[in-house]
Amino acid sequence: MPNNNLLNVCLNRDGQVSRRRLLQVAGGGFAGLGGLPFLQRLGLAADEARRNGRACIVVFLNGAPSQFETWNPKPGTENGGPTQVIDTAIPGVPFAEYWPKLAAMMNDVSVIRTMAGKEAAHDRGTYHLLTGRRLGGASRFPHFGSVVSHELGDPDAEIPNFISIGDTLNAGFLGVRFSPFVVPRAGELPANVEATVAETRVDRRLSLLADQDADFQTAGAERIAAEHQELYRKAARLMTSEHLKAFTVEGESDAVKSQYGRHEFGQGCLIARRLVESGVPFVQVRRSGWDMHANLWQNIPRAAGEVDEGVSALLTDLKQRGMLEKTLVVVLGEFGRTPKINQSTPNVGRDHFARNFNLLMAGGGIKGGVCVGTTSSDGMEIDDRPVEVDDFFHTMCRCMGIDADKELITPEGRPLRIVDAGAPVEELLS
Amino acid sequence: MMRTLPKRRIAALLAVFACVWSLAPDGAGGAPRSRRKPGKSQAVKNLPELKTPEDKIRFLEMIRNTFPAIRSGTPNLSSITLDEILDRYVTDETSTPLAEVVDDETFLRRVSLDLAGQIPTPGGIRRFVSSTDKRKRSLVIDELLETDQFARKQARYWRSVVFHDSGANRNMVNPQAFEDWLFEEFKAGTGWDRIVGEMVSATPRRQKDVKAQDNGWQQDYGPNNFVLACENKPEVMAAQTARLFMGISIGCAECHDHPFDDWQREQFHELAAFFAPGKYFMSDQYDPSQRTEMEARFLLGEEPPLGLKPDQRRVAGAAYLIYNPDNHWFARAFVNRVWSELLGDGFYAVDSLGPDKEVVHQLVINRIAASFRYSEFDVKWLFRLICNSQAYQREIRTIEDEADLFTAVRPSRLRSWEVADCLEIVIGKHEGLRNAVTTAFEQNPSIPQQDLEGSLQQALLLMNNTVLQQRIADSPLKKELLELDDDQEVIRHAFLGVLARTPTTDETARYVSYFKQIPDRREAVEDLIWVLINSAEFTTKR
Repeated sequence: MPNNNLLNVCLNRDGQVSRRRLLQVAGGGFAGLGGLPFLQRLGLAADEARRNGRACIVVFLNGAPSQFETWNPKPGTENGGPTQVIDTAIPGVPFAEYWPKLAAMMNDVSVIRTMAGKEAAHDRGTYHLLTGRRLGGASRFPHFGSVVSHELGDPDAEIPNFISIGDTLNAGFLGVRFSPFVVPRAGELPANVEATVAETRVDRRLSLLADQDADFQTAGAERIAAEHQELYRKAARLMTSEHLKAFTVEGESDAVKSQYGRHEFGQGCLIARRLVESGVPFVQVRRSGWDMHANLWQNIPRAAGEVDEGVSALLTDLKQRGMLEKTLVVVLGEFGRTPKINQSTPNVGRDHFARNFNLLMAGGGIKGGVCVGTTSSDGMEIDDRPVEVDDFFHTMCRCMGIDADKELITPEGRPLRIVDAGAPVEELLS
Repeated sequence: MMRTLPKRRIAALLAVFACVWSLAPDGAGGAPRSRRKPGKSQAVKNLPELKTPEDKIRFLEMIRNTFPAIRSGTPNLSSITLDEILDRYVTDETSTPLAEVVDDETFLRRVSLDLAGQIPTPGGIRRFVSSTDKRKRSLVIDELLETDQFARKQARYWRSVVFHDSGANRNMVNPQAFEDWLFEEFKAGTGWDRIVGEMVSATPRRQKDVKAQDNGWQQDYGPNNFVLACENKPEVMAAQTARLFMGISIGCAECHDHPFDDWQREQFHELAAFFAPGKYFMSDQYDPSQRTEMEARFLLGEEPPLGLKPDQRRVAGAAYLIYNPDNHWFARAFVNRVWSELLGDGFYAVDSLGPDKEVVHQLVINRIAASFRYSEFDVKWLFRLICNSQAYQREIRTIEDEADLFTAVRPSRLRSWEVADCLEIVIGKHEGLRNAVTTAFEQNPSIPQQDLEGSLQQALLLMNNTVLQQRIADSPLKKELLELDDDQEVIRHAFLGVLARTPTTDETARYVSYFKQIPDRREAVEDLIWVLINSAEFTTKR
């Protein structure tokens, strides 16, 4: 095996192949690329054992939903507005009226009502809640999905380890290997995955291409050429994968499709389940339209209705299939909304607010039926148990079996811990 | 970061506005004031209303004429001097040798992509390489700078810069009108100062009884689209003005004091006040219902006279941005963008400069920026300066260490529309495919090249897209290649047509041997075109 001598430099203490090292190996000659699967298979055993069937589905409510109209209502107060409440399976923990299905299954779900955010602009809040870090400084941090993909993903998997239905953040310093594979719409095969020529001819072309890129690499484009080869290797593997059908609803009954909801978001949840079932460790589904500065009470019923339907169907389905225990499901936006109702026209709404907001967690080692934290009756302050974004990330890491203190190495060689501070929310963990 | 200026300076700044003021009988302007309390406004009499774009431009023009660099001179920096200074700084930092200057073919492809956004034709390559004129590189730079493609390339770049992060409703903006206006300005050689002045001072107004998408926001008037891309919101305009035209990132000061720099929340909102349609209020950080009225104050402490109307205030903001001699960020930000586009690395990340100490080889870029002012912000002068330098003409290298910056040129990924254009040269026009390509290759143009990544979708598109495959099969290039008998000629032609260079001996040998293995010549030729289109080099500027 020509690459045996590379083993020492390529594998770090955890048996992981670091990106930088990998690129250096690739940069050392393209002949070496043929040997890469061997290296990766070495890493694979460790990955599989560590992953132990775990997966994560993040439902991202783009635009930042109001905590008052979701899972921390303040009925009968001025800030609470006209929103009515309903009981949930957790005694004394009512939800806003728009969430009947999830309310009924709160034995399996927990809510954090006291997320203490720091960012109240969309891009910065999204970055904070999806990477665990605040935007700024020299390094671009990876989406949590990229971290999962890096830590638990099978580098040799046929379908990408991190799939996002709808656009999202990228892998930051972890690089393109761990980037999300974005499918624009739920239920469609990814574009251009079918070859237009016979497989042997594809192979011949790819082999010529590897030589062509190797020339370019020698000419000074080391990084671009190495990354390019890696992408083509992945593309070729995806094209022939049996798992491609997981991107579609092929074979699902009408009843199931309806249960998830006949809308883009609901079908996205169904695809998420199918992808996780075929071995994808991280899937993100998105429901936009929560930035309700105006017309909040006009728009909330439909937005909440879709998410209530899709997420409750997803949780029920995962549970019935025995997958919920190992699949962490998180429902969140980038921050919350102002307690005070604004005077927008034609109809009022709420503005950006990061000091406290709420999110849901279920499955994957999360205890159901827990409500973490309380806020003041006007919704302005956290009365009890603030949960920092760091704490939330620690909790997700614990659920996924990822060591939150592990240091990831940036391309500049800077070691950065997966989670910088904080501790898991122990009361949520079973 | 400078928070306040010496009084002497403030007086100089006021003079900018005052000189125009003095036209008014009771002569406003005057002595420097300490920070004012809001609300104590006094009317400014006889100042033009500045409601129309024409009035604004005329007024800015009067201020422009007082700008010292424009009054007094011509640029005094040549490409040769630039190389001398830069080489001295670079070799002080690193022992890595400077890369060789590229050969004619590589130069021509590079400069054609950089100045015209597309690769040269085989005929153009032949003529250029065979020319014995010593000044041929200079001449081709001059030629390309006068093409429509140059103006179009700059216009597209700035369209994508302005619109990339825009949250504006699409019925409210007209990016094409913006691009077309920029095209005309770049083509006419309008100074960068005038272009920005018009964008920043614009006040698009909502037309009553007109649907938004039917020019209801006056978005069909190109210059209005910067403000509209900012959703007409003072806060967004403040953040974008600083980011795009000064290269500094103060956006996070909207909500809190800047975590890394010296920018205070108050300063951000004072900047935003320039763009408000009336009085401007800053909401309390914790209780948004508590609001404080803010007076306009530019980032170096420039305070416009009291009592300006919104249109006048916006023009004052543009004037402080562009014609304050102490605001060196404005010229430098543009220089850094252009440099970064041309060499693959900037002296700092183009839109997120913190403290000035983050600028690499600061004196070099400051010198270029100063000369750029003396050139009257002449965009073509700047391109000519850089493209004629050895720094620009060096071979590519993947630079990993900051100390090695500018010892070589960094290979850069082509912009999405350039990938589409390069494809069109081979396979002809196809709107659907063009959209697919521009979507797949879309990148934030403000992210440094070294941080850009390719995607699986891009690979899949070029590998398998059915339209593309069909177009390759039907391409004129394939037909031409099939008419040639000699394999080596076929290969040379294919390389020239797709990668705009002749193949190396190794490459020729490789494909000759491939041609021998494949009995079906059509198939072999198609495979060759496929490989070249899918190569990393095709989508990269080397």
